[in-house]
Amino acid sequence: MDDMHVAVVERKVAALDAAAAIEFVSDPRFGGIAVFVGRVRDHNLGRVVTGISYDLFEPLALRIFRAIGERARAEVGDSLKLYIAHAKGELGLGDLAVVVAAGTPHRDEAFRACRLAIEAVKHEAPIWKQEHYIDGDSAWSEGCSLCEEQHEMQRAQDSHGGTAGHGHDH
Amino acid sequence: MNVRIALYGALREADPRGYVELEVPPGSTIATLRELLTAHLSEHAPAVNVKLVRISAFASDEEILHNHRTVPEDVALAVLPPVSGG
Repeated sequence: MDDMHVAVVERKVAALDAAAAIEFVSDPRFGGIAVFVGRVRDHNLGRVVTGISYDLFEPLALRIFRAIGERARAEVGDSLKLYIAHAKGELGLGDLAVVVAAGTPHRDEAFRACRLAIEAVKHEAPIWKQEHYIDGDSAWSEGCSLCEEQHEMQRAQDSHGGTAGHGHDH
Repeated sequence: MNVRIALYGALREADPRGYVELEVPPGSTIATLRELLTAHLSEHAPAVNVKLVRISAFASDEEILHNHRTVPEDVALAVLPPVSGG
């Protein structure tokens, strides 16, 4: 049986389901389950947010979710079930944007696999967030470049004490 | 050869069809494609910030294609601005 579930879910079709994620990673061998749920919040950078649109390059996103899962398996071992689902389309406040769940024999591997997966989804998967504000304005979030030449330039800047670094606090 | 490039995120606004088509000399690298796309958007979509193309990645359905790679024939590509999932 496949121990990994990856999905992109159009919001118009269904909401993400954390209970389904927990069900998927449950196993008699496993005593630890870690779950991360990302939800649409009502503010960002001092602006009142009323909703988010997510744009995804779906075929590559699903491949990258699976590659992330393989990396998590290499990190914590074969006793792992992993669930990664991301929403697509128009989301309202409180809607679930992303659900990651990891089931493992013990809590340490579960936390590590879940953390690795959500960080990689945020930084590596071809997904774009457009925030909509209460004043009617909208803006695409700045995000992380997937372009390796850009990473090299960034590393060079950082090693010379540049302050324009990408802090990864998002 | 003709290459279709799907647009995502902030670059989607460059063309309401959601893609652009460029004439690219056979054997060109992704770095050349990047220059051609920058020139195309400067001319046809002045409202889009073309600096975004410099920090975008190119990809097929299957993988990211870095600057040194040759533009594949008969493969639809996508240009991916910096990502912001989650």
